[in-house]
Amino acid sequence: MKKRIYGIETEYGLLIKGDEFKYGSVDVAVRLKNHIFEKGMGVLDLHYRANDEPPGNGGFLVNGGRVYLDMGHLEYASPECSNLVDLVTYDRAGDMVVQDAVEEMGWADQVAIIKNNVDLETNATFGCHENYLVSRAFQFDNRENLRMLASFLVTRQIYAGAGRTGACNPQPFRDWDEVNPSRKEQEQVDFQISQRADHIPNEFYRWVQYNRAIVNTRDEPLSDPSKYRRIHLLVGDSNMSEFATALKMGSTAVLMELIELGAANPDWILADSVTTMREISRDPKFKWEITMRDGKRTTAVDLQRDMLNCAKENLAGSSADTDWVLQAWESVLDDLPKGPEALLGRVDWASKYWMLTEFMQAQDLGWQDPWVKSLDLEYHNLNKSQGLYWGLEDTGDAFRRTSDSAVDQAKEKPPRGTRADGRGELVRTLTQSQTGYLIDWIGFRLNKEEPFLMLDPFVSYKKEIRNYLDNLDLQQPYDRDSFYR
Amino acid sequence: MTFQPIQLNDPMRREEKNSPGPDQKDTGGPSRPDVSRPGRDDLLKRMKKVDPKQSEKYKQRTGQ
Repeated sequence: MKKRIYGIETEYGLLIKGDEFKYGSVDVAVRLKNHIFEKGMGVLDLHYRANDEPPGNGGFLVNGGRVYLDMGHLEYASPECSNLVDLVTYDRAGDMVVQDAVEEMGWADQVAIIKNNVDLETNATFGCHENYLVSRAFQFDNRENLRMLASFLVTRQIYAGAGRTGACNPQPFRDWDEVNPSRKEQEQVDFQISQRADHIPNEFYRWVQYNRAIVNTRDEPLSDPSKYRRIHLLVGDSNMSEFATALKMGSTAVLMELIELGAANPDWILADSVTTMREISRDPKFKWEITMRDGKRTTAVDLQRDMLNCAKENLAGSSADTDWVLQAWESVLDDLPKGPEALLGRVDWASKYWMLTEFMQAQDLGWQDPWVKSLDLEYHNLNKSQGLYWGLEDTGDAFRRTSDSAVDQAKEKPPRGTRADGRGELVRTLTQSQTGYLIDWIGFRLNKEEPFLMLDPFVSYKKEIRNYLDNLDLQQPYDRDSFYR
Repeated sequence: MTFQPIQLNDPMRREEKNSPGPDQKDTGGPSRPDVSRPGRDDLLKRMKKVDPKQSEKYKQRTGQ
């Protein structure tokens, strides 16, 4: 696999469990965010980042990532990671930074952080955004390439989906469509394998709220735009399983490499990717039959296997990450036909489905019982003594890609091999200083100094930043008027 | 690329859990051994602690 930079942004849901709890969910999110920064995990922004991101709304962490509030959600953006194990470790570190804050505030029994993507009552949705740095030479404007990528993403949900009970009815329409009354017809869905499938009405589009697309086309590289493009995907679900996170991101990176090599096959293109995405997600028999652009019928498993075989032919042995992805990808495609129990701990929708059906059988419940919805949410609870996913870790059924000790370290130390390392050095220094600062993914500025640019995400900049900081008076108090000269 | 034709009746597409049919009940024969997954009972205990109504309390805004 080519050298990549990966990142994940997670918008967390927040459940107030206590009936008499003194704060609402938005207030709790603000207090958790403030607690994280007050205990020295990072430095809050002193400046506006956008109209809805005023000073203090969030900030960078000593691990190089970010915590902030976005549209009422507490959100964590991982630092830039150069391999899949780091990515899983830093994704989990964000989970634990937020969960630690809940516990340190003494709210563990009243407040639950839910790492999912949908409110099952109101159908509000919120995202898990994947970021992949590719070369600017990636032929992103070639619609055939995007269609092959869309076909992969649509069928990837058979192992990357987090699963949900019920459905979003009516399905969201596009701004430019007339509202068709027939769209409001309710479809009874007991369970579907993806949380986001009902919320993606377009194949390609650049917006991130409403009119979401399978392939988001926004061009915001957050690096040297002459060298790099950041492919920013919002089609996927948040995963609890470390294996699922690594396979989702790893297989997607492999697919992108096949496109870059010219090895991807236009025969992979679906007849209608948006409709197919929903049909796969809602298929109660898990057969996942699909129609290709040329009219042929096949299944999502067989299409994914064809993509896997292409990857094995072209990329086997190219890196340790690639070989892990190829092996893991093959193992889930082999095991999907065996049923959900064969995928426990590796595929979130299957783990959830198995747990829910076992419980429903034991308690004589149906899919429409409110308890089943509540259990669906609880699968994603980050509290290890309560959340259902963690029960799989306790029974040894969770397939891990990192360790608790690595996650603990990742809360406070940046990953090596990317510019997050230098940013972490900067942020740690700033937690002990008085100076004014403006930090962004692509660089920073201190007091009246010239900006320090970090345009190459593959460079750590750590030594340069250390030398730069050693030559500054960092106890010079922040003066807002002179900072924005 | 060659796609395999869909085998709609392929039993390997999804392995159904076996449950005794009506004619197997109350036969008075040996009881079916408990082959449930190790840890299943612990998971069910964890699930039973969940507030059945908590989904109604989960009031989220749409994000991105």
